[in-house]
Amino acid sequence: MIRATHAAIVLAIAVAAASPHAQTGRTPSGPPTYRAPRTASGQPDLNGIWQALNTANWDLEAHEAAAGPVLQLGAAYAVPSGPGVVVDGPIPYTPDGLAMKKKYAANALREDAEVKCYLPGVPRMMYMPYPVQIVQSADTIVMMSEFASALRTIYINGTARPPADTWMGWSNGKWDGETLVIDSRGFMGATVGALDEEGAVHVRFLDRAGNYHTDGLHVVERIRRTGPDHLQYEATIEDPNVYTKPWTIRMPLYRRVEPNMRLGEFKCEEFVGDLVYGKYQKK
Amino acid sequence: MMRNLWVATLLAVFAASVGAQDAKSTYKVPRTPDGQPDFQGYWTNLTYTPYERPKELANKPFYTEKEAIEAFNKAVGESQNQAVHYVSTDFGATPVQTGAKPNLRTSLVIDPPDGRIPPMTLEAQKRQAARVAEERAAGPLARTWRDDRGTVWCVFHDRAVPAVIAPYGSNYQIVQSKDQMVMIYEWNSEHRVIPLDGRPHGTIPTYIGDSRGHWEGDTLVVETINFTTKRTFLGSPGMPPAVAMMPTFKLTERFTRTADDTIVHTYTVEDPATWTRPWTVEMPMHRIKGPMLEYACNENNVDAFTTLRNARAQEAGKLAPPDRVRNVGDAKATVLQREGKGSGETGQAGEASGAGERK
Repeated sequence: MIRATHAAIVLAIAVAAASPHAQTGRTPSGPPTYRAPRTASGQPDLNGIWQALNTANWDLEAHEAAAGPVLQLGAAYAVPSGPGVVVDGPIPYTPDGLAMKKKYAANALREDAEVKCYLPGVPRMMYMPYPVQIVQSADTIVMMSEFASALRTIYINGTARPPADTWMGWSNGKWDGETLVIDSRGFMGATVGALDEEGAVHVRFLDRAGNYHTDGLHVVERIRRTGPDHLQYEATIEDPNVYTKPWTIRMPLYRRVEPNMRLGEFKCEEFVGDLVYGKYQKK
Repeated sequence: MMRNLWVATLLAVFAASVGAQDAKSTYKVPRTPDGQPDFQGYWTNLTYTPYERPKELANKPFYTEKEAIEAFNKAVGESQNQAVHYVSTDFGATPVQTGAKPNLRTSLVIDPPDGRIPPMTLEAQKRQAARVAEERAAGPLARTWRDDRGTVWCVFHDRAVPAVIAPYGSNYQIVQSKDQMVMIYEWNSEHRVIPLDGRPHGTIPTYIGDSRGHWEGDTLVVETINFTTKRTFLGSPGMPPAVAMMPTFKLTERFTRTADDTIVHTYTVEDPATWTRPWTVEMPMHRIKGPMLEYACNENNVDAFTTLRNARAQEAGKLAPPDRVRNVGDAKATVLQREGKGSGETGQAGEASGAGERK
């Protein structure tokens, strides 16, 4: 009897380990029992304005609080601590990849596209400290970040390869029960043909701490509702140029429940023109 | 062959145009799963129809079908004779290559009845004169990235809303959920989200404006206010000069699907601070093939760097001024020379340079 129970438990564990969900994970609180409301076409309804509430954009990995990069900004722009969003971190860099990360991190004010108001890419757009609006139709989902008016289009059941490399990549999606699975490739790894170093970035930062990817990036995201006002967001990040194996980040996204909530307009090109072009402007 | 094709498309456009005004139209508008008229897909409003009616057609709001085809073919021919056609033709991006169609209208402005934008108020005329004087005083060289003198300005693309004539790239993707419609404009990937859920307008000014939509039968009516006064309206090549947008600017648009491949889009502009009366434009939208790609204007803006660097070099006497290149004859000769055809005849195209055009 005891032995049979034991066997059943072992079997259950084995099944769990073999299931694809075990790898990509569920909420720590248990299996996905929540059934999302459906759109008129019968898909789980992801429409709404969502936002991450964590320190992922400062550093995806666990980190202590730290001074900010600009002395004059003091505590106002210092780095808050965070437990990290990398599942089974740290990020599995190759030795060269890690050495480059340290180099880029030391030069973050020049290399981080966020400073220059360049399109943030995927997955970074999803956890920047700006709201993300999802508008969902049966065959196309648009995700818009307030930051730099960044936009991505997800083609449901799309199979096309990226026609060109872009800053936000090319995303094909499919529904796996409650979960939207998005496969994205075709990312720019840097500015191309930059005429001027003031405008150049040589890799794409995933956060302000210098974690980065190249044009070898491949992202698989899994997004599902865990309640009326929560999404679970998960992204598996692959880039053989700099990581030894794929790795995953996971976090909740929260609905912005304010009445009449809308995305603001944060056209930050306006705020960085004098920084980027300053040395060629008429004094 | 080409001509027969235009006849066929024109008949379709003609039918659509009549349908827009005929409540008994037999066209059955497709529905989204939510039951709303379905505007989704890819559309272009590229056109060869002038924004304002040419004076010689003052009393002629409509062409006959034959005249419309002739006008269209003439405009296509002229556009292809330009000394410098930038690179639009090579990229298949000119209006005729993208899906522009003949139009029975002789102008996009349909009200006032003479097809011309009504006169400006005295106050607005003074504002415009001050603008022109300021531009002139600033000289020909770009001072900062904000200058509209050959620098490419990526903050916002004015042609996105309200819609005006563009030389290329004036394409839209529309995605609809039950409560929101997203219209993505190809230039600068500008996009506006139009709430359809009856919520009130906000109060914060933005470049793209604050749009609210509602259904009147199968027509989507969109009212947009709260445009920032930092931007302008009109002013593209071949358009009336740019005007500042004042806080009182109000745009009312109507979108009606009249055929599988046509949306009739009209808009009324009201701004008592600028014009002496409201005025209305009709710009048909024609279905095109997707997808639309990312625009990524600000990401390594080579034009801005080059223009500013060259401007500083010119000030320092290290570079010849740009004026000679602006001459169309010189430009065409340069192109022919580059193509190994020697220095040929000069063309009679209009503004050859893209300078001053906002990307």
